Amino acid sequence: MSADAILTFTNVSFTYRGDWLQRVQALKKVDLTVPRGSAFGFLGANGAGKSTSIKLVMGLLHGHQGDIRMFGQPLGDHRLRARIGYLPEHPYFYDNLAVGEYLAYMARLSGLAPDAIPAAIDRVCQLLDLADLKKRMLGSFSKGMRQRFGLAQAIIHQPDLLVLDEPFSGLDPLWRARFREVMALERKRGATLCFSTHILSDVEDLCDHYGVIDHGVVLEQGRLEDLVKQAPLVLTGSGPMPSAAMGNHDGTWRWQFPEAEREKNLATLPVGAQILRLERNRIGLEDYFVARVKAFHAAGKRLDGTGAA
Amino acid sequence: MIGVIAWATCREAVRSRTFLLLLAVYLLGVLMSRIVGWISATDGNVITTDVVFSLQSIMGVLVAVATGTALVHVEIQQKTLYTVLSRPLPRWQFVLGKYLGLCLALAAGQVAMLIIGLIYLAATGAPVHYWLLIAGLLTIVEVLVMAAVSLCWTALSSPLLAAVLGLATYALGHAVHSLPGLVHHLKGTQQTIAIALASLVPDLGQFAYRNEAVYRTPIALDDLLMRLVYGGLWCALLVFITIAVIRRKQL
Repeated sequence: MSADAILTFTNVSFTYRGDWLQRVQALKKVDLTVPRGSAFGFLGANGAGKSTSIKLVMGLLHGHQGDIRMFGQPLGDHRLRARIGYLPEHPYFYDNLAVGEYLAYMARLSGLAPDAIPAAIDRVCQLLDLADLKKRMLGSFSKGMRQRFGLAQAIIHQPDLLVLDEPFSGLDPLWRARFREVMALERKRGATLCFSTHILSDVEDLCDHYGVIDHGVVLEQGRLEDLVKQAPLVLTGSGPMPSAAMGNHDGTWRWQFPEAEREKNLATLPVGAQILRLERNRIGLEDYFVARVKAFHAAGKRLDGTGAA
Repeated sequence: MIGVIAWATCREAVRSRTFLLLLAVYLLGVLMSRIVGWISATDGNVITTDVVFSLQSIMGVLVAVATGTALVHVEIQQKTLYTVLSRPLPRWQFVLGKYLGLCLALAAGQVAMLIIGLIYLAATGAPVHYWLLIAGLLTIVEVLVMAAVSLCWTALSSPLLAAVLGLATYALGHAVHSLPGLVHHLKGTQQTIAIALASLVPDLGQFAYRNEAVYRTPIALDDLLMRLVYGGLWCALLVFITIAVIRRKQL
């Protein structure tokens, strides 16, 4: 395990046991590392294994094989959770408790001293525009408001590790932007961010590390800049058109090529060709997943991660 | 931590619609109890007192079963416990805190019912005496045992089934009280099996002192203490079973 890792999965497998001996293997020999101080985006489609991984970390599921370590220590000591803030997917809270009451409750459970709680509540309420709603019962909250409250309760004790399961779910564009700001502020404070999503743009905007999981297998992980480099470049130009380019209806042309061919292609542009834009073609998550899974199969590997079929 | 969870649970429970609705039904029942007293052939005051105290028990048990069965299962279904269990506390503290919070809410409701009942009896001219307080106290213990029964059944089954099983346990719990009088009719293995089965459910008749209290039949202090300890032991056993089940549960 790297000394700089705040969370590591080593060879972790997990099987859900249902009724009548039904078994579903949700994680298959997962190896994953979340570096300390990073913003880690955990990408995967619905049912890929993201929430299962998070629930194992939070102690909501147990009975896994392999080794999971938090802050360098094996799971099991509940006191480690004092250093984690957690926002579950589609969070629900007690209907008959007010915002202020619930935040105070969470702060006490997180080990905050009673005299530090009012200031902590004010801080998170200000960050997430909940100050006017402190006395409002949580049962009256909409989905988006619950999500805001969910983030507030997750950061009230200023945790070292913030684990967020689909944090942008149910938010309008304005609140998505605000969530990004709050998450950036938390990171600036020194917290490590680890959040799951199936929206690649969220990862691009916030993260410097990523992991991709599909059918319980981690397909790849690493630095985001390495992933971004996999996206092809798109050169938009005018004037004489290279033979591999495609013409646009406004008289310009468009040429797509991989990063590795950037220097060569720029050097061999026809004389008189003018570069209007050179940008990266953002990878659509769906296309990316399809490509990755197809490549995974094409390489002759099985989805249980055991190598050649 | 247990106290923090208990206090939050208590606040949540006393504000719930079920709790307030059943308290309102109790009030209505108390007001109507005088009518039963008027139409009864025997002493109207005795019947009114009996009805008021029976209502306290029935409403208390209904609240205990309704809230007890919902307590943990709804938390799992709605995932409200995710944010709580992600804090630095072991599951046993969560279950114990939830149960104690429910006990606090139920006891508060029972004390409110007892005070309302006694004020009503005094206002309508029915005699109010010390033994009625003892009957009220034992009813509270009965309700707390039923809360533990409901919690335990919820951990082992679904909320609906737990409610049915909870009410069945209530009926059985009162039935087993009369078992010693019947068991001598059985012989050998039948007698052993009957006694063994009866010991699997709490003898709720231990807490039904209502009828005796109405007629001012005294209860010895050591007998009262024994009944309180009996109730406490059943609560502890049932909460222990619930903790053992919840600790292993995948959430």
